[in-house]
Amino acid sequence: MVPNRVNAPLIGSLAFLALVIGVLVAGGLSVQSTVTNSFREAEAIGTARLLVEDVLQRQIDEETGIRGYAVARRVSLLQPYYEARAALPATLRRAMRALESLNLPTAQAAFEDAGRTNRRWLRAVAFPLFTSKSSRPALQFRGKKFVDHFRADIASIETLLAGREARSRVGAQRAIAWVDLFAIGAISAFLAAAMLFAYQQYRLGVRLEEERTKAEEQRRRSAENRAAYLAEKRIADTLQGALVQNVLPEPAMLRLGATYLPATEEAKIGGDWYDALELPGDRVLLAIGDVTGHGIEAAVTMNRTRQLLISCALIDPSPGPVLERVNNELFRNASPMVTAIAALVDARDCEFAYAAAGHPPAVLLEPGKRARFLDVGSLPLGVLRDAAYRTHRVRSIPGALLVLYTDGAIEHSRDVVAGEELLLAAIESAAHASPSDVAAAICDRIFADRKAADDVAILTLRFADGASGSVGIFEHGSQTMVAAGEKAGLA
Amino acid sequence: MIQTIQLAGELDLSRKREIRDAFAFSNGARAVLLDLSEVVYADSTALTELLRFCAMAQGAKIPVAIVIVAPQFLRLVQYAGLATAFKVFHDRGEALQYLSECPGT
Repeated sequence: MVPNRVNAPLIGSLAFLALVIGVLVAGGLSVQSTVTNSFREAEAIGTARLLVEDVLQRQIDEETGIRGYAVARRVSLLQPYYEARAALPATLRRAMRALESLNLPTAQAAFEDAGRTNRRWLRAVAFPLFTSKSSRPALQFRGKKFVDHFRADIASIETLLAGREARSRVGAQRAIAWVDLFAIGAISAFLAAAMLFAYQQYRLGVRLEEERTKAEEQRRRSAENRAAYLAEKRIADTLQGALVQNVLPEPAMLRLGATYLPATEEAKIGGDWYDALELPGDRVLLAIGDVTGHGIEAAVTMNRTRQLLISCALIDPSPGPVLERVNNELFRNASPMVTAIAALVDARDCEFAYAAAGHPPAVLLEPGKRARFLDVGSLPLGVLRDAAYRTHRVRSIPGALLVLYTDGAIEHSRDVVAGEELLLAAIESAAHASPSDVAAAICDRIFADRKAADDVAILTLRFADGASGSVGIFEHGSQTMVAAGEKAGLA
Repeated sequence: MIQTIQLAGELDLSRKREIRDAFAFSNGARAVLLDLSEVVYADSTALTELLRFCAMAQGAKIPVAIVIVAPQFLRLVQYAGLATAFKVFHDRGEALQYLSECPGT
Protein backbone atom coordinates (compact mmCIF):
# COMPACT_ATOMS: atom_id res chain seq x y z
CA MET A 1 0.00 0.00 0.00
CA VAL A 2 1.22 3.46 -0.89
CA PRO A 3 0.28 5.93 1.84
CA ASN A 4 -1.47 9.08 0.62
CA ARG A 5 1.09 11.52 1.92
CA VAL A 6 3.79 9.82 -0.15
CA ASN A 7 1.59 10.26 -3.24
CA ALA A 8 1.23 14.04 -2.98
CA PRO A 9 4.45 15.06 -4.82
CA LEU A 10 3.65 12.56 -7.55
CA ILE A 11 0.22 14.11 -8.03
CA GLY A 12 1.95 17.51 -8.17
CA SER A 13 4.28 16.45 -10.93
CA LEU A 14 1.41 14.84 -12.85
CA ALA A 15 -0.54 18.09 -12.59
CA PHE A 16 2.49 19.98 -13.89
CA LEU A 17 2.72 17.55 -16.79
CA ALA A 18 -0.97 18.07 -17.60
CA LEU A 19 -0.46 21.85 -17.51
CA VAL A 20 2.49 21.58 -19.89
CA ILE A 21 0.47 19.43 -22.29
CA GLY A 22 -2.41 21.94 -22.15
CA VAL A 23 -0.11 24.86 -22.93
CA LEU A 24 1.47 22.83 -25.74
CA VAL A 25 -1.89 22.04 -27.35
CA ALA A 26 -3.21 25.63 -27.06
CA GLY A 27 0.04 27.13 -28.34
CA GLY A 28 0.24 24.62 -31.17
CA LEU A 29 -3.31 25.41 -32.30
CA SER A 30 -2.65 29.15 -32.19
CA VAL A 31 0.61 28.89 -34.20
CA GLN A 32 -1.06 26.57 -36.66
CA SER A 33 -3.90 29.03 -37.32
CA THR A 34 -1.42 31.91 -37.75
CA VAL A 35 0.56 29.94 -40.31
CA THR A 36 -2.59 28.76 -42.13
CA ASN A 37 -3.90 32.35 -42.30
CA SER A 38 -0.67 33.70 -43.72
CA PHE A 39 -0.56 30.94 -46.35
CA ARG A 40 -4.17 31.68 -47.28
CA GLU A 41 -3.38 35.39 -47.57
CA ALA A 42 -0.30 34.74 -49.72
CA GLU A 43 -2.48 32.67 -52.04
CA ALA A 44 -5.12 35.42 -52.21
CA ILE A 45 -2.46 38.04 -52.97
CA GLY A 46 -1.01 35.85 -55.74
CA THR A 47 -4.46 35.43 -57.28
CA ALA A 48 -5.14 39.18 -57.06
CA ARG A 49 -1.81 40.00 -58.73
CA LEU A 50 -2.45 37.58 -61.57
CA LEU A 51 -5.91 39.01 -62.15
CA VAL A 52 -4.67 42.59 -62.01
CA GLU A 53 -1.94 41.66 -64.51
CA ASP A 54 -4.59 40.04 -66.68
CA VAL A 55 -6.67 43.22 -66.57
CA LEU A 56 -3.61 45.22 -67.61
CA GLN A 57 -2.87 42.76 -70.42
CA ARG A 58 -6.44 43.01 -71.72
CA GLN A 59 -6.26 46.78 -71.62
CA ILE A 60 -2.99 46.65 -73.59
CA ASP A 61 -4.60 44.24 -76.08
CA GLU A 62 -7.57 46.61 -76.53
CA GLU A 63 -5.32 49.61 -76.95
CA THR A 64 -2.83 48.06 -79.38
CA GLY A 65 -5.74 46.53 -81.42
CA ILE A 66 -7.44 49.90 -81.82
CA ARG A 67 -4.20 51.71 -82.53
CA GLY A 68 -3.11 49.16 -85.17
CA TYR A 69 -6.53 49.34 -86.80
CA ALA A 70 -6.46 53.13 -86.81
CA VAL A 71 -3.09 53.11 -88.62
CA ALA A 72 -3.47 50.12 -90.99
CA ARG A 73 -7.24 49.82 -91.28
CA ARG A 74 -7.05 46.06 -91.34
CA VAL A 75 -9.90 44.29 -89.61
CA SER A 76 -7.69 41.36 -88.61
CA LEU A 77 -5.82 43.70 -86.36
CA LEU A 78 -9.01 44.19 -84.30
CA GLN A 79 -9.03 40.56 -83.21
CA PRO A 80 -7.15 41.15 -79.87
CA TYR A 81 -9.36 44.15 -79.18
CA TYR A 82 -12.54 42.13 -79.44
CA GLU A 83 -11.25 39.30 -77.37
CA ALA A 84 -9.98 41.66 -74.71
CA ARG A 85 -13.17 43.67 -74.61
CA ALA A 86 -15.26 40.51 -74.25
CA ALA A 87 -13.13 39.16 -71.41
CA LEU A 88 -12.40 42.37 -69.54
CA PRO A 89 -15.66 42.88 -67.54
CA ALA A 90 -15.47 39.35 -66.06
CA THR A 91 -11.78 39.71 -65.32
CA LEU A 92 -12.44 43.07 -63.69
CA ARG A 93 -15.15 41.55 -61.46
CA ARG A 94 -12.93 38.65 -60.39
CA ALA A 95 -10.02 40.98 -59.68
CA MET A 96 -12.34 43.23 -57.68
CA ARG A 97 -13.54 40.27 -55.56
CA ALA A 98 -9.95 39.23 -54.96
CA LEU A 99 -9.09 42.73 -53.76
CA GLU A 100 -12.24 42.87 -51.59
CA SER A 101 -11.25 39.58 -49.92
CA LEU A 102 -7.90 41.11 -49.08
CA ASN A 103 -9.63 44.14 -47.54
CA LEU A 104 -7.49 46.74 -49.33
CA PRO A 105 -9.78 49.83 -49.71
CA THR A 106 -7.08 51.98 -51.44
CA ALA A 107 -6.43 49.27 -54.00
CA GLN A 108 -10.15 48.82 -54.49
CA ALA A 109 -10.58 52.57 -55.12
CA ALA A 110 -7.65 52.58 -57.58
CA PHE A 111 -9.13 49.59 -59.34
CA GLU A 112 -12.53 51.22 -59.63
CA ASP A 113 -10.76 54.27 -61.03
CA ALA A 114 -8.95 52.01 -63.55
CA GLY A 115 -12.32 50.56 -64.60
CA ARG A 116 -13.78 54.02 -65.07
CA THR A 117 -10.70 55.12 -67.04
CA ASN A 118 -11.09 52.09 -69.31
CA ARG A 119 -14.74 52.89 -69.93
CA ARG A 120 -13.97 56.55 -70.62
CA TRP A 121 -11.17 55.51 -72.97
CA LEU A 122 -13.61 53.24 -74.81
CA ARG A 123 -16.17 56.03 -75.12
CA ALA A 124 -13.88 58.96 -75.85
CA VAL A 125 -11.07 57.25 -77.80
CA ALA A 126 -11.72 53.69 -78.93
CA PHE A 127 -15.16 54.11 -80.48
CA PRO A 128 -14.31 57.42 -82.30
CA LEU A 129 -11.11 55.82 -83.67
CA PHE A 130 -13.01 52.75 -84.62
CA THR A 131 -15.65 54.63 -86.55
CA SER A 132 -13.33 57.32 -87.98
CA LYS A 133 -11.75 56.91 -91.37
CA SER A 134 -8.52 58.60 -90.45
CA SER A 135 -5.90 57.69 -87.79
CA ARG A 136 -6.63 60.94 -85.92
CA PRO A 137 -3.34 61.67 -84.21
CA ALA A 138 -4.92 64.09 -81.73
CA LEU A 139 -7.36 61.45 -80.60
CA GLN A 140 -4.56 58.95 -80.32
CA PHE A 141 -2.64 61.36 -78.13
CA ARG A 142 -5.64 61.75 -75.88
CA GLY A 143 -5.97 57.95 -75.81
CA LYS A 144 -2.39 57.67 -74.61
CA LYS A 145 -3.26 59.89 -71.63
CA PHE A 146 -6.12 57.57 -70.64
CA VAL A 147 -3.89 54.56 -71.01
CA ASP A 148 -1.18 56.20 -68.88
CA HIS A 149 -3.78 56.97 -66.21
CA PHE A 150 -4.99 53.37 -66.34
CA ARG A 151 -1.47 52.01 -66.05
CA ALA A 152 -0.74 54.34 -63.13
CA ASP A 153 -3.80 52.93 -61.30
CA ILE A 154 -2.68 49.36 -61.99
CA ALA A 155 0.86 50.17 -60.92
CA SER A 156 -0.36 51.65 -57.64
CA ILE A 157 -2.45 48.52 -57.03
CA GLU A 158 0.55 46.33 -57.74
CA THR A 159 2.64 48.37 -55.28
CA LEU A 160 -0.05 47.95 -52.62
CA LEU A 161 -0.27 44.24 -53.29
CA ALA A 162 3.49 43.87 -53.16
CA GLY A 163 3.54 45.70 -49.80
CA ARG A 164 0.81 43.49 -48.54
CA GLU A 165 2.59 40.43 -49.76
CA ALA A 166 5.81 41.52 -48.04
CA ARG A 167 3.95 42.07 -44.75
CA SER A 168 2.22 38.75 -45.05
CA ARG A 169 5.55 37.03 -45.72
CA VAL A 170 7.06 38.64 -42.62
CA GLY A 171 4.04 37.46 -40.59
CA ALA A 172 4.43 33.95 -41.92
CA GLN A 173 8.16 33.98 -41.23
CA ARG A 174 7.49 35.19 -37.73
CA ALA A 175 4.90 32.47 -37.21
CA ILE A 176 7.37 29.90 -38.44
CA ALA A 177 9.99 31.30 -36.09
CA TRP A 178 7.40 30.95 -33.33
CA VAL A 179 6.87 27.36 -34.34
CA ASP A 180 10.62 26.72 -33.93
CA LEU A 181 10.71 28.49 -30.61
CA PHE A 182 7.57 26.77 -29.48
CA ALA A 183 8.85 23.37 -30.50
CA ILE A 184 12.06 23.90 -28.55
CA GLY A 185 10.14 25.23 -25.54
CA ALA A 186 7.66 22.39 -25.70
CA ILE A 187 10.35 19.76 -25.89
CA SER A 188 12.24 21.36 -22.96
CA ALA A 189 9.10 21.66 -20.84
CA PHE A 190 8.13 18.11 -21.62
CA LEU A 191 11.59 16.87 -20.74
CA ALA A 192 11.53 18.90 -17.51
CA ALA A 193 8.12 17.48 -16.59
CA ALA A 194 9.25 13.98 -17.44
CA MET A 195 12.40 14.41 -15.36
CA LEU A 196 10.40 15.82 -12.46
CA PHE A 197 8.02 12.90 -12.72
CA ALA A 198 10.86 10.42 -12.86
CA TYR A 199 12.52 12.12 -9.88
CA GLN A 200 9.32 11.98 -7.84
CA GLN A 201 8.90 8.36 -8.78
CA TYR A 202 12.45 7.72 -7.64
CA ARG A 203 11.91 9.61 -4.39
CA LEU A 204 8.71 7.70 -3.74
CA GLY A 205 10.57 4.45 -4.30
CA VAL A 206 13.34 5.51 -1.94
CA ARG A 207 10.88 6.58 0.74
CA LEU A 208 8.86 3.37 0.47
CA GLU A 209 12.08 1.43 0.78
CA GLU A 210 13.05 3.50 3.83
CA GLU A 211 9.67 2.92 5.44
CA ARG A 212 9.85 -0.76 4.72
CA THR A 213 13.32 -0.92 6.28
CA LYS A 214 12.14 1.08 9.28
CA ALA A 215 9.09 -1.14 9.77
CA GLU A 216 11.31 -4.20 9.53
CA GLU A 217 13.73 -2.67 12.02
CA GLN A 218 10.83 -1.94 14.36
CA ARG A 219 9.52 -5.47 14.02
CA ARG A 220 12.98 -6.85 14.67
CA ARG A 221 13.50 -4.58 17.66
CA SER A 222 10.10 -5.33 19.19
CA ALA A 223 10.80 -9.04 18.71
CA GLU A 224 14.13 -8.53 20.45
CA ASN A 225 12.49 -6.52 23.23
CA ARG A 226 9.89 -9.22 23.59
CA ALA A 227 12.58 -11.88 23.75
CA ALA A 228 14.57 -9.83 26.28
CA TYR A 229 11.42 -9.27 28.29
CA LEU A 230 10.53 -12.96 28.21
CA ALA A 231 14.07 -13.87 29.24
CA GLU A 232 13.91 -11.42 32.15
CA LYS A 233 10.47 -12.63 33.11
CA ARG A 234 11.69 -16.25 33.03
CA ILE A 235 14.61 -15.44 35.30
CA ALA A 236 12.48 -13.40 37.68
CA ASP A 237 9.80 -16.10 37.65
CA THR A 238 12.44 -18.68 38.54
CA LEU A 239 13.64 -16.55 41.44
CA GLN A 240 10.07 -15.89 42.53
CA GLY A 241 9.26 -19.57 42.00
CA ALA A 242 11.53 -20.40 44.93
CA LEU A 243 8.96 -18.62 47.06
CA VAL A 244 5.94 -20.50 45.75
CA GLN A 245 7.67 -23.83 46.36
CA ASN A 246 8.49 -22.69 49.87
CA VAL A 247 7.17 -25.38 52.23
CA LEU A 248 5.98 -23.83 55.47
CA PRO A 249 7.04 -25.46 58.75
CA GLU A 250 4.44 -27.06 60.99
CA PRO A 251 5.47 -26.09 64.50
CA ALA A 252 3.59 -27.29 67.55
CA MET A 253 0.60 -25.20 68.64
CA LEU A 254 0.81 -22.99 65.55
CA ARG A 255 -0.76 -23.28 62.13
CA LEU A 256 0.76 -21.43 59.20
CA GLY A 257 -0.77 -20.67 55.84
CA ALA A 258 0.26 -18.58 52.89
CA THR A 259 -0.73 -17.57 49.39
CA TYR A 260 0.94 -15.75 46.56
CA LEU A 261 -1.00 -14.06 43.75
CA PRO A 262 1.08 -12.72 40.88
CA ALA A 263 0.15 -9.40 39.34
CA THR A 264 -2.29 -9.55 36.43
CA GLU A 265 -0.05 -7.21 34.45
CA GLU A 266 2.77 -9.27 32.98
CA ALA A 267 5.26 -6.43 33.18
CA LYS A 268 5.09 -6.37 36.95
CA ILE A 269 7.31 -9.10 38.24
CA GLY A 270 7.32 -8.15 41.86
CA GLY A 271 9.72 -8.64 44.68
CA ASP A 272 7.22 -9.89 47.27
CA TRP A 273 8.22 -12.69 49.60
CA TYR A 274 7.45 -14.37 52.92
CA ASP A 275 9.39 -16.75 55.11
CA ALA A 276 8.79 -18.82 58.22
CA LEU A 277 11.70 -20.24 60.19
CA GLU A 278 11.37 -22.66 63.08
CA LEU A 279 13.59 -21.83 66.02
CA PRO A 280 14.35 -23.66 69.23
CA GLY A 281 11.98 -23.23 72.18
CA ASP A 282 8.72 -23.46 70.20
CA ARG A 283 9.51 -20.24 68.49
CA VAL A 284 8.96 -19.27 64.85
CA LEU A 285 10.36 -16.32 62.96
CA LEU A 286 7.91 -14.92 60.41
CA ALA A 287 9.00 -12.48 57.76
CA ILE A 288 7.21 -10.80 54.91
CA GLY A 289 8.54 -8.14 52.57
CA ASP A 290 8.41 -6.33 49.29
CA VAL A 291 11.25 -4.93 47.20
CA THR A 292 10.54 -1.64 45.44
CA GLY A 293 10.55 -2.00 41.67
CA HIS A 294 10.17 -4.98 39.40
CA GLY A 295 12.19 -7.34 37.30
CA ILE A 296 15.43 -9.16 37.90
CA GLU A 297 16.90 -6.53 40.22
CA ALA A 298 13.85 -6.73 42.48
CA ALA A 299 13.93 -10.53 42.47
CA VAL A 300 17.66 -10.62 43.22
CA THR A 301 17.30 -8.09 46.05
CA MET A 302 14.39 -10.10 47.39
CA ASN A 303 16.47 -13.29 47.61
CA ARG A 304 19.38 -11.42 49.13
CA THR A 305 17.14 -9.84 51.76
CA ARG A 306 15.58 -13.23 52.64
CA GLN A 307 19.00 -14.76 53.19
CA LEU A 308 20.21 -11.77 55.19
CA LEU A 309 17.12 -11.83 57.35
CA ILE A 310 17.40 -15.52 58.14
CA SER A 311 21.16 -15.28 58.76
CA CYS A 312 20.68 -12.36 61.16
CA ALA A 313 17.78 -14.12 62.90
CA LEU A 314 19.99 -17.14 63.55
CA ILE A 315 22.41 -14.88 65.44
CA ASP A 316 19.71 -12.99 67.37
CA PRO A 317 16.06 -13.46 66.45
CA SER A 318 14.85 -10.29 68.13
CA PRO A 319 12.92 -8.52 65.31
CA GLY A 320 14.19 -4.96 65.85
CA PRO A 321 17.91 -5.85 65.81
CA VAL A 322 17.34 -8.21 62.86
CA LEU A 323 15.89 -5.38 60.76
CA GLU A 324 18.62 -2.98 61.90
CA ARG A 325 21.33 -5.35 60.69
CA VAL A 326 19.55 -6.06 57.42
CA ASN A 327 19.00 -2.33 56.91
CA ASN A 328 22.67 -1.50 57.24
CA GLU A 329 23.66 -4.34 54.90
CA LEU A 330 21.20 -3.15 52.26
CA PHE A 331 22.16 0.50 52.73
CA ARG A 332 25.84 -0.35 52.32
CA ASN A 333 25.05 -2.10 49.04
CA ALA A 334 22.87 0.79 47.77
CA SER A 335 20.14 -1.75 47.06
CA PRO A 336 16.56 -0.86 46.14
CA MET A 337 14.30 0.09 49.02
CA VAL A 338 12.72 -2.89 50.83
CA THR A 339 9.69 -2.92 53.11
CA ALA A 340 9.37 -5.77 55.60
CA ILE A 341 7.89 -7.06 58.83
CA ALA A 342 9.76 -9.54 61.01
CA ALA A 343 7.85 -11.27 63.81
CA LEU A 344 9.16 -13.68 66.42
CA VAL A 345 6.31 -15.85 67.69
CA ASP A 346 6.36 -17.71 70.97
CA ALA A 347 3.82 -20.52 70.62
CA ARG A 348 3.77 -21.51 74.26
CA ASP A 349 2.72 -18.13 75.64
CA CYS A 350 0.65 -16.93 72.69
CA GLU A 351 3.04 -14.01 72.49
CA PHE A 352 4.83 -12.40 69.63
CA ALA A 353 7.24 -9.54 69.03
CA TYR A 354 7.51 -7.75 65.73
CA ALA A 355 9.30 -4.91 64.02
CA ALA A 356 8.12 -3.21 60.84
CA ALA A 357 10.16 -1.39 58.20
CA GLY A 358 7.97 0.80 56.00
CA HIS A 359 5.54 -2.10 55.57
CA PRO A 360 1.72 -2.02 55.77
CA PRO A 361 0.69 -3.02 59.30
CA ALA A 362 -0.09 -6.60 60.29
CA VAL A 363 -3.67 -7.48 61.24
CA LEU A 364 -4.63 -9.34 64.39
CA LEU A 365 -8.01 -10.99 64.77
CA GLU A 366 -8.68 -12.33 68.25
CA PRO A 367 -11.71 -14.41 69.17
CA GLY A 368 -14.64 -12.20 70.13
CA LYS A 369 -13.02 -9.02 68.83
CA ARG A 370 -12.86 -7.06 65.61
CA ALA A 371 -9.87 -7.44 63.35
CA ARG A 372 -7.36 -4.66 64.00
CA PHE A 373 -4.19 -3.26 62.59
CA LEU A 374 -1.12 -3.46 64.76
CA ASP A 375 1.05 -0.40 65.20
CA VAL A 376 3.01 0.61 62.15
CA GLY A 377 6.73 0.81 62.25
CA SER A 378 9.75 2.62 60.95
CA LEU A 379 11.44 3.50 57.67
CA PRO A 380 11.84 0.96 54.88
CA LEU A 381 15.12 -0.94 54.77
CA GLY A 382 18.02 0.56 52.83
CA VAL A 383 16.98 4.22 53.16
CA LEU A 384 18.83 5.54 56.18
CA ARG A 385 22.05 4.26 57.72
CA ASP A 386 21.69 3.13 61.32
CA ALA A 387 17.93 3.62 61.30
CA ALA A 388 16.30 2.35 64.48
CA TYR A 389 13.63 -0.39 64.33
CA ARG A 390 11.50 -0.68 67.41
CA THR A 391 10.40 -4.07 68.62
CA HIS A 392 6.67 -4.16 69.52
CA ARG A 393 5.45 -6.88 71.88
CA VAL A 394 1.91 -8.30 71.70
CA ARG A 395 0.35 -10.76 74.10
CA SER A 396 -2.49 -12.55 72.36
CA ILE A 397 -4.85 -15.39 73.14
CA PRO A 398 -5.38 -18.90 71.79
CA GLY A 399 -7.31 -19.00 68.54
CA ALA A 400 -6.04 -15.58 67.46
CA LEU A 401 -5.19 -15.06 63.79
CA LEU A 402 -2.19 -12.96 62.76
CA VAL A 403 -2.18 -11.82 59.12
CA LEU A 404 0.89 -10.46 57.36
CA TYR A 405 0.54 -9.26 53.77
CA THR A 406 2.18 -7.12 51.09
CA ASP A 407 0.83 -3.79 49.81
CA GLY A 408 -0.88 -5.38 46.80
CA ALA A 409 -3.58 -6.56 49.23
CA ILE A 410 -4.64 -3.00 50.10
CA GLU A 411 -3.39 -0.88 47.19
CA HIS A 412 -5.54 -2.33 44.43
CA SER A 413 -7.14 1.11 44.24
CA ARG A 414 -5.37 4.32 45.12
CA ASP A 415 -7.53 4.83 48.16
CA VAL A 416 -5.52 2.95 50.74
CA VAL A 417 -8.04 3.71 53.54
CA ALA A 418 -10.75 1.92 51.55
CA GLY A 419 -8.25 -0.88 50.82
CA GLU A 420 -7.62 -1.32 54.55
CA GLU A 421 -11.32 -1.55 55.32
CA LEU A 422 -11.79 -4.15 52.63
CA LEU A 423 -8.87 -6.17 53.98
CA LEU A 424 -10.25 -6.17 57.54
CA ALA A 425 -13.67 -7.27 56.28
CA ALA A 426 -12.08 -9.99 54.12
CA ILE A 427 -10.06 -11.30 57.08
CA GLU A 428 -13.12 -11.39 59.34
CA SER A 429 -15.21 -13.18 56.76
CA ALA A 430 -12.43 -15.64 55.81
CA ALA A 431 -11.36 -16.43 59.37
CA HIS A 432 -13.45 -19.57 59.64
CA ALA A 433 -11.59 -21.25 56.77
CA SER A 434 -9.11 -23.98 57.63
CA PRO A 435 -5.68 -22.65 58.72
CA SER A 436 -3.96 -23.72 55.52
CA ASP A 437 -6.67 -22.11 53.37
CA VAL A 438 -7.29 -18.89 55.24
CA ALA A 439 -4.69 -16.89 53.31
CA ALA A 440 -6.14 -17.94 49.97
CA ALA A 441 -9.66 -17.26 51.27
CA ILE A 442 -8.72 -13.68 52.21
CA CYS A 443 -7.18 -13.20 48.79
CA ASP A 444 -10.28 -14.61 47.07
CA ARG A 445 -12.55 -12.23 48.94
CA ILE A 446 -10.47 -9.15 48.10
CA PHE A 447 -10.01 -10.02 44.44
CA ALA A 448 -13.43 -11.54 43.78
CA ASP A 449 -14.38 -8.57 41.61
CA ARG A 450 -11.15 -6.64 41.07
CA LYS A 451 -7.80 -7.30 39.50
CA ALA A 452 -4.51 -7.54 41.34
CA ALA A 453 -2.47 -4.66 39.94
CA ASP A 454 0.59 -5.74 41.89
CA ASP A 455 1.81 -9.00 43.38
CA VAL A 456 0.06 -10.04 46.57
CA ALA A 457 1.58 -12.24 49.27
CA ILE A 458 -0.33 -13.17 52.43
CA LEU A 459 1.08 -15.12 55.37
CA THR A 460 -1.19 -16.20 58.22
CA LEU A 461 -0.54 -17.68 61.63
CA ARG A 462 -3.10 -19.07 64.02
CA PHE A 463 -2.42 -19.80 67.66
CA ALA A 464 -3.77 -23.16 68.68
CA ASP A 465 -6.81 -23.09 70.90
CA GLY A 466 -5.25 -23.76 74.28
CA ALA A 467 -8.38 -25.28 75.85
CA SER A 468 -8.75 -28.11 73.36
CA GLY A 469 -5.12 -28.29 72.42
CA SER A 470 -6.18 -28.17 68.77
CA VAL A 471 -6.22 -25.33 66.35
CA GLY A 472 -9.50 -23.58 66.78
CA ILE A 473 -11.35 -22.16 63.87
CA PHE A 474 -13.14 -19.99 66.36
CA GLU A 475 -16.55 -20.00 64.81
CA HIS A 476 -17.87 -17.71 67.45
CA GLY A 477 -15.47 -14.85 66.82
CA SER A 478 -15.57 -14.59 63.08
CA GLN A 479 -19.15 -15.62 62.41
CA THR A 480 -20.80 -13.30 64.88
CA MET A 481 -18.72 -10.40 63.69
CA VAL A 482 -19.82 -10.88 60.10
CA ALA A 483 -23.41 -11.31 61.16
CA ALA A 484 -23.22 -8.06 63.09
CA GLY A 485 -22.40 -6.39 59.78
CA GLU A 486 -20.43 -3.65 61.43
CA LYS A 487 -17.78 -1.83 59.48
CA ALA A 488 -14.27 -2.73 60.36
CA GLY A 489 -12.45 0.10 62.03
CA LEU A 490 -8.81 1.08 61.86
CA ALA A 491 -6.42 0.05 64.53
CA MET B 1 16.32 30.84 53.35
CA ILE B 2 13.52 28.28 53.44
CA GLN B 3 13.11 26.36 50.19
CA THR B 4 9.57 25.26 49.41
CA ILE B 5 8.87 22.13 47.38
CA GLN B 6 5.26 21.61 46.43
CA LEU B 7 3.65 18.60 44.78
CA ALA B 8 -0.01 17.70 44.35
CA GLY B 9 -2.33 14.91 43.22
CA GLU B 10 -1.29 11.29 42.74
CA LEU B 11 2.46 10.69 42.70
CA ASP B 12 3.25 7.61 40.65
CA LEU B 13 5.70 6.12 38.20
CA SER B 14 4.33 8.25 35.34
CA ARG B 15 5.53 11.39 37.16
CA LYS B 16 8.90 9.96 38.22
CA ARG B 17 10.89 12.59 36.33
CA GLU B 18 8.85 15.48 37.73
CA ILE B 19 9.13 14.09 41.27
CA ARG B 20 12.87 13.52 40.99
CA ASP B 21 13.36 17.05 39.63
CA ALA B 22 11.23 18.52 42.41
CA PHE B 23 13.19 16.76 45.15
CA ALA B 24 16.38 18.75 44.76
CA PHE B 25 18.00 21.31 47.00
CA SER B 26 18.23 24.84 45.70
CA ASN B 27 21.41 26.80 46.30
CA GLY B 28 21.59 28.40 49.71
CA ALA B 29 18.63 26.49 51.12
CA ARG B 30 18.92 26.34 54.92
CA ALA B 31 15.66 24.48 55.44
CA VAL B 32 13.09 22.78 53.27
CA LEU B 33 9.32 22.91 53.47
CA LEU B 34 7.86 19.90 51.67
CA ASP B 35 4.29 20.95 51.01
CA LEU B 36 2.47 17.73 50.13
CA SER B 37 -0.86 18.95 51.51
CA GLU B 38 -2.59 18.24 48.18
CA VAL B 39 -1.05 14.81 47.62
CA VAL B 40 -3.58 11.96 47.94
CA TYR B 41 -1.48 8.99 46.83
CA ALA B 42 2.12 7.99 46.32
CA ASP B 43 3.31 4.70 44.91
CA SER B 44 6.48 3.01 46.14
CA THR B 45 8.58 4.80 43.51
CA ALA B 46 7.43 8.21 44.73
CA LEU B 47 7.78 7.17 48.37
CA THR B 48 11.33 6.05 47.66
CA GLU B 49 12.16 9.46 46.18
CA LEU B 50 10.57 11.20 49.17
CA LEU B 51 12.42 9.04 51.71
CA ARG B 52 15.75 9.31 49.95
CA PHE B 53 15.39 13.10 49.78
CA CYS B 54 14.59 13.30 53.50
CA ALA B 55 17.47 10.98 54.35
CA MET B 56 19.83 13.10 52.24
CA ALA B 57 18.62 16.27 53.99
CA GLN B 58 19.20 14.62 57.36
CA GLY B 59 22.70 13.65 56.30
CA ALA B 60 23.35 17.26 55.25
CA LYS B 61 21.82 18.55 58.49
CA ILE B 62 19.17 20.54 56.63
CA PRO B 63 15.89 20.56 58.55
CA VAL B 64 12.88 19.36 56.56
CA ALA B 65 9.23 19.85 57.50
CA ILE B 66 6.66 17.79 55.62
CA VAL B 67 3.02 18.88 55.36
CA ILE B 68 0.52 16.08 54.75
CA VAL B 69 -3.26 16.45 54.93
CA ALA B 70 -5.04 13.73 52.91
CA PRO B 71 -5.87 10.71 55.17
CA GLN B 72 -5.02 8.15 52.46
CA PHE B 73 -1.60 9.63 51.91
CA LEU B 74 -1.09 10.06 55.64
CA ARG B 75 -1.71 6.32 56.06
CA LEU B 76 0.90 5.49 53.40
CA VAL B 77 3.55 7.65 55.06
CA GLN B 78 2.65 6.09 58.42
CA TYR B 79 3.48 2.66 56.95
CA ALA B 80 6.71 4.11 55.62
CA GLY B 81 7.63 5.30 59.11
CA LEU B 82 8.08 8.80 57.79
CA ALA B 83 6.97 10.42 61.04
CA THR B 84 9.35 8.26 63.07
CA ALA B 85 12.38 9.64 61.26
CA PHE B 86 11.27 13.03 59.95
CA LYS B 87 9.04 15.95 60.94
CA VAL B 88 5.50 15.57 59.62
CA PHE B 89 2.84 18.26 60.13
CA HIS B 90 -0.81 18.50 59.20
CA ASP B 91 -0.69 22.24 58.80
CA ARG B 92 1.58 24.49 56.77
CA GLY B 93 1.73 27.15 59.49
CA GLU B 94 2.97 24.68 62.09
CA ALA B 95 5.60 23.41 59.67
CA LEU B 96 6.88 26.94 58.99
CA GLN B 97 6.84 27.66 62.72
CA TYR B 98 9.01 24.58 63.30
CA LEU B 99 11.46 25.51 60.53
CA SER B 100 11.80 29.10 61.75
CA GLU B 101 12.74 27.80 65.19
CA CYS B 102 15.43 25.54 63.83
CA PRO B 103 18.92 26.94 64.45
CA GLY B 104 20.55 28.39 61.33
CA THR B 105 17.42 29.43 59.46
